[in-house]
Amino acid sequence: MSVFTLEAGLALLGLVLLMIEAFQPDVSRRTLGLTAIAGAALALMLLPFCGTTLPAFMQPWHQLDTLALFYKGFALVTTLLVLWLTLECAPYLTRFTLEGKLAEMFSLPLIVCAGMMWMASARDLVTVFVTLELVTVSFYVLVAFARKSAFSLEAGVKYLILGALSTGVLVFGIAWIYGATGAMSFDGIAKALANPATSKATALFGAALLLCGLGFKVAAAPFHMWVPDVYQGAPTPVTVFLSVGSKAAGFVVLTRALDAFLVPGSIIASEVKALLLVTGSLTVLLGSLPAMFQTSVKRLLAYSSISHAGYLILALACRDSARFDLSSGGIVAFYLATYLPMTVLGFFGLGLMRVNGLGEDLKDFTGLAKRNPLLALLVTISFASLAGLPLTAGFLGKLFVFLGLADHGYWGALSCAVIAAAAGFYYYFKTILAMYTTEGTDVPALSFSVVTKTVAGVLALSILILGVYPKPLQKVLMPAPAAVAIK
Amino acid sequence: MISLGHYLVVSGMLFALGLAGVIARRNILIVYMCLEMMLSAANLALAGFSRFHLVNGLPDYAAQSLVFFTITVAAAEVAVGLAIIVALFRSKQSVDAGVVTKLQG
Repeated sequence: MSVFTLEAGLALLGLVLLMIEAFQPDVSRRTLGLTAIAGAALALMLLPFCGTTLPAFMQPWHQLDTLALFYKGFALVTTLLVLWLTLECAPYLTRFTLEGKLAEMFSLPLIVCAGMMWMASARDLVTVFVTLELVTVSFYVLVAFARKSAFSLEAGVKYLILGALSTGVLVFGIAWIYGATGAMSFDGIAKALANPATSKATALFGAALLLCGLGFKVAAAPFHMWVPDVYQGAPTPVTVFLSVGSKAAGFVVLTRALDAFLVPGSIIASEVKALLLVTGSLTVLLGSLPAMFQTSVKRLLAYSSISHAGYLILALACRDSARFDLSSGGIVAFYLATYLPMTVLGFFGLGLMRVNGLGEDLKDFTGLAKRNPLLALLVTISFASLAGLPLTAGFLGKLFVFLGLADHGYWGALSCAVIAAAAGFYYYFKTILAMYTTEGTDVPALSFSVVTKTVAGVLALSILILGVYPKPLQKVLMPAPAAVAIK
Repeated sequence: MISLGHYLVVSGMLFALGLAGVIARRNILIVYMCLEMMLSAANLALAGFSRFHLVNGLPDYAAQSLVFFTITVAAAEVAVGLAIIVALFRSKQSVDAGVVTKLQG
């Protein structure tokens, strides 16, 4: 069995669940949710045992290298966590959905997951476009899903308009790249860009448009304006999915595209690198500085997600960093692997507070340690790691980026990143302090289920373990010699 | 004789008109139409580039296959998009961009 059967199976399971909801209305929400979770868990368990050989007709547009397999696992883990959080938040969410139904919240994530897994293997722009749209169009539905809530509907409209705009820009960019290079595959584009006879202006125009389109998807400045609104308005499980899954998917495509654009001898290499450095520096600043003034913690996490996108873009700008035995794509993957537990844990905290009748504002967090010490501890670990406190996973990701920037002598970008990280310490620890110092009001203690406690505990532990002992993850991400040899 | 340049100029004009509409218009339905126009601009550019990039004397079909995918994706996007816009109209009795201003900060 080859890996691509997993994607097909997940998409099929998503469609079956959709049909069950439509024609068997008496099947309970919990059954649907648990089936979806079982399907995703089964796929995750099968992933390491699947063959990585491909039939000849698939090889021009599909690849199964280390990075692709890593991102497939990443997508599956994210989907599993999102599905569980959806199930946990269901009592709250169903108040805002039509007839209290929730089935698409279980079937669409499976389809999104299949799209993200397929995208990780893409090696031409047609596949990239189709999978990116599979993910984006499903997200339009998910963001607007709690449509009786004015916030969710508004977030859906904003995401729809800006997402469609980025799609238009992306396809136009693909057209011009094709016009300049005469190729749709990343290998063909790389070959044409290394040839000095290729028209530089045309290629640069196409590459810039493509990067703008992808910049929208990963929330890079100046295309980040939709992020706070959409993240705040969307149902919390969907926000997690957008912030972790959609971002990782955008970055795997960016990694592949930049491998082609910045191939040795590329005619547009210096311009694209400058573009990345400027965008990355702007993104970390525009994410971190406004975050200091937020009163809603959900919105604060949205801004934090923007600034993390900025660090990732800066990591992509540092090519050929020999340090840590990781390529820049590997450093991005490492950063995302550390970003997953800390972000999901933070949003788990938010979602659980919502279910227990609390809001998402800073004032709802005051005195949380009194009401539920465990939840406060978990949120503290998550936020400390998001800030980049040493001995947590978030510290290492940032360290790799900063050292990479220093190695290449990108001092301007490095100073922006340091300022943003300092600002990050301020706003994350402001929230943590609020949880511990302020006297708690007499709100009853929060409660949540044993499974959720376990899941959140595992996430917190993985943050701490990755922060102290990251070697195994680095080993996973090292390019296998065999994968390099296949061309 | 119509050359590649002609196709690209028309496609560029379509794209610019669409972008201008997205930025300037307030009605979300019109904005959505302008977005579709931008996709059409990209399709025209793709078809043009494909027609003038000959492989063994035939147009290169790699780009034309993308055109078909773009049309399909645009249709899916319209189906979902119009549903969301209709939901917005039902709750606010308007599709003006001014009604979606609750989320700010």
